[in-house]
Amino acid sequence: MLSTLIWLPMLGAALIAFCPIRLSRWAALAIASLNLFLTLLLFSQFDLSQTGMQLSEYLPWLDSLGLTYRLGVDGLSLPLQALNSLLIWIVIYGSDQKIDRPRLFYALVLIVGGGIAGAFLSQNLLLFVLFYEVELIPIYLLIAIWGSARRDYAAMKFLIYTAISGALILAGFLGLTQLSGASSFDYAAISSQISSQNLPLNTQVLLLTILLIGFAIKTPLVPLHTWLPDAYVEASPPVAILLGGIVAKLGTYGLVRFGLQLFPEAWSVVAPGLAVIGVASVLYGALTAISQQDIKRMVAYSSIGHMGYVLVAAAAGTQLSLLGAVGQMVSHGLILAMLFYLVGVIETKVGTRDLSKLNGLLNPIRGLPLTSALLVVGGMASAGIPGLVGFISEFLVFQGSFPVFPIPALLCVLASGLTAVYFVILMNRTCFGKLDNDTAYYPKVTGREQVPALVLAALIFFLGVQPSWLLRWSESTTNALTASLPIMENQVEQQVAIVYPSLPVQQ
Amino acid sequence: MNQILLQSVWLVPCYPLAGTVLSALWFPSITRLTGPRPAGYVNLLMTFLAFLHGLFALSATWGQPAQELFFPWLNVANLDLTLPLQISTLTVGATVVITGLNLLGQIYAIGYLEMDWGWARFFSLMALFEAGLCALVLCDSLFFCYMILEILTLGTYLLVGVWFNQSLVVTGARDAFLTKRIGDLFLLMGVIALLPLAGTWNFGDLAVWAQTANVDPVVITLVGLALIAGPMGKCAQFPLHLWLDEAMEGPLPSTILRNSVVVASGAWMLFKLAPVLALSPVVMSALVGIGAVTSVGGALIAIAQIDIKRTLSYSVSAYMGLVFIAVGTGNTEAGLLLVLSHALAMALLVMSVGSVIWNSISQDVTQLGGLWSRRPISGLAFLVGIAGMVSLPPLGSFWALLKLADGLWTSQSWLVGLVLLVNGLTAFSLTRVFSLVFGGKAKPMAQRSPEIHWLMAVPMTLLLGFTLHLPLILQSLNLLPAWADLNKEMALLLVWSSLAGCVVGAIVYLGNSVPKPVQFPLKGLQDLLTHDFYTAKLYRLSIVFGVNIVSRIIDWVDRYIVDGIVNLFGFVTLLAGQGLKYSTFGQAQSYALTIVFGMFLVGWLMTRSP
Repeated sequence: MLSTLIWLPMLGAALIAFCPIRLSRWAALAIASLNLFLTLLLFSQFDLSQTGMQLSEYLPWLDSLGLTYRLGVDGLSLPLQALNSLLIWIVIYGSDQKIDRPRLFYALVLIVGGGIAGAFLSQNLLLFVLFYEVELIPIYLLIAIWGSARRDYAAMKFLIYTAISGALILAGFLGLTQLSGASSFDYAAISSQISSQNLPLNTQVLLLTILLIGFAIKTPLVPLHTWLPDAYVEASPPVAILLGGIVAKLGTYGLVRFGLQLFPEAWSVVAPGLAVIGVASVLYGALTAISQQDIKRMVAYSSIGHMGYVLVAAAAGTQLSLLGAVGQMVSHGLILAMLFYLVGVIETKVGTRDLSKLNGLLNPIRGLPLTSALLVVGGMASAGIPGLVGFISEFLVFQGSFPVFPIPALLCVLASGLTAVYFVILMNRTCFGKLDNDTAYYPKVTGREQVPALVLAALIFFLGVQPSWLLRWSESTTNALTASLPIMENQVEQQVAIVYPSLPVQQ
Repeated sequence: MNQILLQSVWLVPCYPLAGTVLSALWFPSITRLTGPRPAGYVNLLMTFLAFLHGLFALSATWGQPAQELFFPWLNVANLDLTLPLQISTLTVGATVVITGLNLLGQIYAIGYLEMDWGWARFFSLMALFEAGLCALVLCDSLFFCYMILEILTLGTYLLVGVWFNQSLVVTGARDAFLTKRIGDLFLLMGVIALLPLAGTWNFGDLAVWAQTANVDPVVITLVGLALIAGPMGKCAQFPLHLWLDEAMEGPLPSTILRNSVVVASGAWMLFKLAPVLALSPVVMSALVGIGAVTSVGGALIAIAQIDIKRTLSYSVSAYMGLVFIAVGTGNTEAGLLLVLSHALAMALLVMSVGSVIWNSISQDVTQLGGLWSRRPISGLAFLVGIAGMVSLPPLGSFWALLKLADGLWTSQSWLVGLVLLVNGLTAFSLTRVFSLVFGGKAKPMAQRSPEIHWLMAVPMTLLLGFTLHLPLILQSLNLLPAWADLNKEMALLLVWSSLAGCVVGAIVYLGNSVPKPVQFPLKGLQDLLTHDFYTAKLYRLSIVFGVNIVSRIIDWVDRYIVDGIVNLFGFVTLLAGQGLKYSTFGQAQSYALTIVFGMFLVGWLMTRSP
């Protein structure tokens, strides 16, 4: 089951590379749809009460190296894999029908999808690194071939940064396996070695720091973020969705899976520092976004801010905050994908992304009314308005982090106010205002072009109103994660405090 | 039957919510086929259903003890978010007031927006507000109230921005959103910080907790101050009052509801939170302080405005300031009564003003005049509105203000003087508007200004009737004091202050003894009031400027320092490569020389070490 999720896109990519050009889009769409369907099937087989890995698969591979093919899924990887399958579908559906070199494009997108699925599902550290590196070159090509003017610069910057990130992670994993004396790179083996105190705390902190830097580049966190604005802006909208929506989640996923879960004790040592870095990212991203003139760049910087919330939540490590972190990863993926998609639509129809030129798109006759309305929904979801999916994740992050790190949590609340500031700037300039008579009559957005944004908007609404559908999958896993962490001092108070008076339910 | 009505009272907010969705279905493409009107009619029907349901539920809940309904929403990681609804005479009565005013407001809007095409957006947002407010009064949990308030903040942004192609509308919508959101975020901070202290967000449990709570005074003061920030934004209190005035750029029918019931949402939160706020004397003093500054300041600014809508918006701030004082001094009931009487009277005043704006060329009070003979219904509505607003027996506000002043007399008597002052100033300000618009001779701008059509006149007259009958309703609710308990001196003082305000206003603005436009002896003070204490300018010079500068600096740092260092690395690497490439120039001799040199170096190193 899990292997299918990895190899279906991979083999599909090979198939598409050889199929006729005019069929390539449909073939890619069929594979992505099948993949999405299989992921939904996975939900039906997932056991909510179980805390550990489920549906595990195992094949011996290179035992002498310690490399085994071991897969598994838990409450942390399941929602992210679902996001991956969904966004791959959106990317393929939402890409331009007359795109250059379609076979290469669709094949590369599918390879990225398969690689990310592999990274989320693999239970062997070396296998994770393999999958982590697999998507590197395809994304480089996706930016470098289909990007805009400065695509070469952006693609190369992305490549260098991510290669360093991969090298650091590999180094960390090698050191970890060597020093802990584990027999293989299997996650479980290493985890048990660490928990049985075979590794001094100082060494743990050192290894954790190496891994953290590696994942921080991918996430990205300030000050290792400068590849992001260039890469997101220069990439075509579907590739930007791929990058921001899921590839960046590898970083936060790695932080939780290979940081918090693997090194619970060392994690609590570095947690206060991480909270500070997280808040710095949140504020930095939000403030920089305010002064941007290019709407795509603005959205890109907003992404830095929103990933900072995940770090703050992971650092706090309470049950609520971790659940909020997982929720935030998924909701950020959905919202960012929607925003990038809409920005792409606006760019194609209006021909500019410049805030000083855009105006009055909400105009019902000559503008892009539905696109603008959806942009308002996306922006407000990102700003954390209740009833949309962004709110509940952010709220859980704030509420969960507050007992451990009160000041960072409150600063995060403040930053969500700044988020509102730049989205209001974005909407006031783009959607509101008077439509210029000279440039009016933009090409209509066809129904087909609206579909991706409508699907995402529906999900954003639905999960905002029914957040348990977002959070129920991860709850037992994140609770188990918290249990392994040494309890921090403040947290004791909180656990005593949150004892709710049980509510009598009237008949 | 009664039980069914009560148990299903949660449907009351659901009808308008359905209206929101149904109205929003009129996309531009559908509007082109059917015209915009069905979107409004659908909504009107839904509001009517909500009103009827509320009305029947009110009679069912009469004299019954309060009931609670629970709806589980989210239960994760020891955090139980269950939506509790409280069904009592008070809450159901509040929904009736909200839906009733909405019903009248929407009929009015159908008349007012006769020529408009944005019905779908407008009515769907009106219904969103109605749903949100109904849910707010029924909801018994601080957390869910916060959620509703935040959604309404977004609603304000969109509703003010309905006519989005005018630049003043755009800035008004922006300011409304941001100032309210600042308040909301502080409220959120308070909400988050309160949970570890109290362990609950349910208002009922919070009140129980507050009786025995033993918390650090500093902490509870900070939490309390954060909690009142939300209501400050909603009730347009200083310094977050700016938005209400700018929101006047939105369509007028939404102003009817904004000035009457939407601002009251903040006051409602205060009533619910009163036991928690009372834990900290600093918070209570802050409430009184904010309320005092806003009520006097608002009443004064209102007098200096010439835009007919703005004259009313500042009076709203002033009255909400009185409500803040009421909560800050523990006179919650008087505050509630004031909110009710203010809502009816203010809605009536806005309707009357709206009818003038609708078919007059100008909305500048100095350009109008002499409309009494042309628009008797609007004029009468305005007069009754004044009477309902200021303390004039036997109408609503008299009893509310009397109760408030009575309560203040025993604790903080200086505040009684403040109440009298605000009442007098409001009387003066409203009389001024009436005299300038309806009195005197018609100026050129007011020459062609006939009475409005029935769609606007009917809701206005109905509301006029309600305002006049409010004392009877209060009587039947046993909310009026018995004659024997009446504090007659206080009542006289209040009546005198109202009369003084009205008479002076009439003398100045109806008579010819004072030259128009009226110049206040202190020019600086007049300018200060006209420009709303220069609040907009202050904001621009402080917060807006600060955020702007900081964001630019960080952007600069990002571009030239953080990214610059990275690019420098790249540049140095490239430069090094470029430089080193000259070392491979392809001459066999030089390669041989390098090899020989290398061998010598290696040999030297090897022989040296032992």
